[in-house]
This record gives sequence, C-alpha cells and structure tokens, in this order.
Amino acid sequence: MLEIKELRKRFGDKVALDGVSLSAQPGEVVGFVGANGAGKTTTMRIAMGVLASDSGEVLYQGSPLGAAQRNRFGYMPEERGLYPKMKVAEQIAYFGELHGMDRAAAKRATGELLEQLALTDRAGDHVQDLSLGNQQRVQLAVSLVHDPEAMVLDEPFSGLDPIAVDVMGTALKERAARGVPVIFSSHQLDLIERLCDSVVIIAAGTVIAAGGVEELKARETKRLRVRVDAPRDLIADLPGTVTRDGDDYLVEDADDQAVLHVAMSAGRVAHFAYDQPTIAEIFREAVAQ
Amino acid sequence: MSARSPESSRMRGLLLVAGREIRVRGLSKSNLISLAITVVIAGVLAALPTILDGGDSDTEVGLAGAAASTMEGQLEAIGGYEVTVFDSAADAEQAVEDGDVEAAVADGDLYVDGRVGTELQTVLESAWQAAAVHGNLSDAGLSDTEIQQALTTRPLETVNLSDSESDSVIGYFTGLIISILMFMMLMMPVQYIAMGVVEEKSSRIVEILLTSLKPWQLLGGKVVGLGAVALVNLVAIVAVGLGVAAATGLLPDLPEGTTSAALSSIGWWLIAFALFGTLAGGVGSLVSRQEDAGSVLTPLVMSLTLSYVGSIFLLNAPGTTFAQVLSIVPPFSAIAMPTRMAIEPVPFWEIAVAIALLLAAAAGALALGAKLYSRSVLYTGSRLKLTEALRRAA
Repeated sequence: MLEIKELRKRFGDKVALDGVSLSAQPGEVVGFVGANGAGKTTTMRIAMGVLASDSGEVLYQGSPLGAAQRNRFGYMPEERGLYPKMKVAEQIAYFGELHGMDRAAAKRATGELLEQLALTDRAGDHVQDLSLGNQQRVQLAVSLVHDPEAMVLDEPFSGLDPIAVDVMGTALKERAARGVPVIFSSHQLDLIERLCDSVVIIAAGTVIAAGGVEELKARETKRLRVRVDAPRDLIADLPGTVTRDGDDYLVEDADDQAVLHVAMSAGRVAHFAYDQPTIAEIFREAVAQ
Repeated sequence: MSARSPESSRMRGLLLVAGREIRVRGLSKSNLISLAITVVIAGVLAALPTILDGGDSDTEVGLAGAAASTMEGQLEAIGGYEVTVFDSAADAEQAVEDGDVEAAVADGDLYVDGRVGTELQTVLESAWQAAAVHGNLSDAGLSDTEIQQALTTRPLETVNLSDSESDSVIGYFTGLIISILMFMMLMMPVQYIAMGVVEEKSSRIVEILLTSLKPWQLLGGKVVGLGAVALVNLVAIVAVGLGVAAATGLLPDLPEGTTSAALSSIGWWLIAFALFGTLAGGVGSLVSRQEDAGSVLTPLVMSLTLSYVGSIFLLNAPGTTFAQVLSIVPPFSAIAMPTRMAIEPVPFWEIAVAIALLLAAAAGALALGAKLYSRSVLYTGSRLKLTEALRRAA
C-alpha cells in the first residue's frame, strides 16, 4: 500500500500543501482531482522524491519509501521529457536499465511495449522526429518499461490521442489487476469516473473530499428525476423541493413513495429514478463549498 | 535486481549515464568524423618537420677525376650525400645539366646548374681541400694510415652559455600543438557537458531521471562519459603524433622532454577536465534554456581562452617570471605548464607545486559544481543567480 501522510510544503510565502493525505491499496486505481495550482503536482513530486516536503511522510508497505523502492515505481511527470536526439528503442531500454533491469531484459520489455503501442516501425527513429502523440506514447513506454510495482502518474492522459488514451487506460487497469497501486491525476473527469476505484479531490492544498467512487456518489444529496405524461404542470402537486429540467421534474427532500403516488395519479410515469451525480458534478460541488 | 548491493548499484547508475553519453556523443557521426580529421592533421603536423627538411633523401653529388675516390670517402664520412663517381669530367658536367645530380666536382672545377646552396658549396669545398691535402701528403711519401692520423681532428663541442634551450624550434612547435590540443580538448567537452545538462533540464527529462538517480550520479556520469570521449580523442591524437614522429625518424632528434611533455599533457588534461567539467555541469544547471547556456559558461570559456592565449605568450617568453607564474597558478597552469615543459626544462618543485595547486582547485571545483548542480537542477524558469543557488536547500 502506498500512503501519503500529512504532507506540508511552502514555496516562500505561498502554502502549496496544507496536510495532504491519500493512499492507494494494492490493485486500487486512485484518481487525483483538483483545479490547476491545487497541489496535485507538488504532492506527486514529493511522493516520487523529486521534491522535499516540509513535513509529512510517504510510506510504502508500512515503512518510509526509500530510493531503491522508488526506483521500481513508474512515474510520469506533468512536464514530459525525453532525449530528443536519442533513438526511441534505445531510450526506452536506457530507462529500463536505469530502473535496474539488465540490458537483455530491458531490450525485451522495450520490444513488447513498442509492439503494444504500435511504434515498432519507429524504433530506430530519433524522438524529435516523432509526432507529439507518438512522443507521448514513448513517454508512456518509459514509465512502464520496468513493470513498475506502483505507479504515480501526473496527467497521464493529457495530450494523448483517443487510441493512446485507450492504451493508457488498459495499461493502468492491467497493472491494477495485478495488484499494483496506481495514483493518477487528470482533468478529464469522465476518465477518472471510468477508470478509478476511488477519488481524491484537492483544493488549495487541502483534500476536500475522498472516497470510493460509488461511495462519493451515494453521499451526494439525493435527487429524484421524474418524467410524467401528464396534461398539467405538477410543480405545485409534488412534495418536497421541485424544479424543472426540461420535461423532467427534479425532486429533493421528499419521500420517494409519496412522489411516485402523486405522479402515478397524474398520468403515465415514463421515468422514475435517482440521478447519479457524475464525478464532475461532485467535483464542482466540492470545490464550490 | 534487489539483491544488488547499494554500492554497486550506485556505480551502476553512474556508469549507465556515462555509457549513454559515450554512445550518443562519442559514437555520433559528427564526433567520429571530427576525430578522423584531427588525427590526420596531427599526423601531418608531426611529419611536417621531416617533409620541410626535404626528408631523409640525400643530396646527390657527382664526382670525377683524380680526387674523386678520396672526396667520396670524405662526403660519406660527413653523411647525407649520395655520391656518383663519373668516368670523366664531361659525364659529370652532363649529369648536372640533366639534373641527375645537384652539383659535381671534377678536376678542380665545381659544376652547378644555376645557384648552389651555401652549405653544399662549403661541404664540397672542404672535401676538395681535404682531398687535395690528402694528395699532397701522399705525394710527400706518407702512408694512408699516417695521413689518416694527421687529418684526424676532434670535432667542436658545443658549450651552451644560455640558461635555457629555448631556441629549439621543435620545442616551440610541440608547445604550440600541446596548448592548442589542451584548449580544444577542454573546450569541447566542457561545452558538451553544459549543453547536456541544459538539454536535460529544458526537456524536463531530469525529473524522471532523478527518480532513479542521485544528482551526483547524473552529473558524475556525464563528466566521466564525456571525459572518456575526449580522452580517447586526446590519446588518439597524441599517439598518432608521436607515432608519426617515430616513424619518420624525428623522435630521436626531438629535444629532451618533448615526448614526456606530450605524454604528461594527458595527466594535466585529466585534472583540468575534472575542474572545468564539473564546474560546467554546475553552472549549466543554473539555466533552463539552451539560449542562456552561453552566458553562464562565459567565465569558464574566458579562463580557458586566457590560459591558451597566456600559453602562446609563454612560448615566446620562456624563462620569464610571467611564464613561471602562469604555469603554476591554477586554472591557467593546466595548459601553461605542459606547454612550458615542451619548450624549456622546468624545475621539479615547480611542477609539483603546479600539480598540487591544480588538484586542490579541481577538488574545490568538484565540490562547488556538484553542490550547484544538485541544488538547481530541478529549478525551472528564469536563470538562477549563483548566490541564490548556493543559498537554496538541496
């Protein structure tokens, strides 16, 4: 399990992190959400040892995360970086070796990844000659080449074409299925919703909401969506707070059975269900509070 | 891979970085081509004295007449002349006219085609006189052995009253070549190191690298790798230079100390490179963009250039206090001392002091460069001030 505990960090007068905690169980995919400047990148940089925190700790399997363990992690920083004048395959294998693989294993893993990412025919090209999308795929390969034990990815989906997004998503799911804890940040909340088991929402250096995706959705205020084929307006008749959303009535703070009863007596009920808030709505709500 | 000892994995990281630098820079087409060109130039320069000397090809001289055999003996004793003895004065004359020989002596006449070198004329003159004396003594009834004894003289021995042997032209050229080589071989990798550091910073790859490597491994690997590339270049050039000099027979003629100066320049280079290389890495990490690299490198480039220009002055003023000071004070000593060693004998203590001071400076530079680097390599944005970098927490 990867645990980040009570991280605090100041840059001069500016407080970047004010006691940020989050954790990822083996096999858990954790989405890290927050506005720009909320502290996601700082948190991840500290977790990967690229930046020192003022206080707080990063634990892996119960003990402070050391350089040797960190070297078996997969990391994708927000600012992507590759050697522009190095060949694609050579570069991926080099990072494999840096992560402790021997040359043969690194080459083998490179070959497999290039195949997966449909880059085999570009293996001998310099990175600078690749399109931006393909460079991103190489970046992905660099973070996956050593079959990481845990993954910390800062905006792994930004700048990816739809195919690469799928490849990336599959890669994360695959790793998680094998028991790898994964933490990634993203602004694409639909992706978070699709891929993550749990979500951590951060604003101004503080975690404002955290939990399982389903749990968070359930925690939100329940809102009943009712569609009735009725000749007259039911706003005055339905109990609780009622608003219109197009043809639908949105009902809050009311007994659902009482609502159903009124609706059925008014006409044919075409739709009767609780709205599932999207992560995007939860996020907006949490940030707004 | 977890079984690896921390010690060996630390070295492994450094060596991996060094290996990448060697592959990417050392084995690049441009480096291989420039090395080939430099090696050829070094070979040509080493062969130049022999070529300019007209090589070992002997001056061809023709002889005829009564004194021919005696003169032939004389000229062979002097050496450097290929003698052809003709049957008649007319044949000798014809050979000069045809250009088969440069000059010919027959029966007291010197045949030349146009002008003749003063040296050749003097030699032929003295050979003719010796032959004449030989003839006269023979006529007076002396035996060949007696004549031989009578004519044997002790050659003049040179007693040099000057302190230095600075008038050696070869020493001057050796010094010149050493200073140019040292300058190039320091300037090139120093630029590469700084460029490499800035490249990693500007492409942000350094953030990924530093999750696997410590800053000192990254900087150390770069310095070792690019140093190895430059060292191979330097050794190749020195080896080809000395090899060609040996092959053309120049080596034994070189003044004492030239070979050792050339070889010791490799040692001087190693220390100087440690000094300039780590400093280049340190100052390179202060900037985030390739355009800014030049400005932070200026002090290093300036001191290298001053060392080089100073060494050229030194070549023209050996034995002066300026030469002495420049060749002892670091970082100038790195280029100035091997240059000075090529042109004049340097007292052992001066060399020892220069080495000690340069080593101390290199150690200081290592500490400073590594400190600067580890503190500023992850800082991005505008150029970091030197004082700011030193104040920053690691």
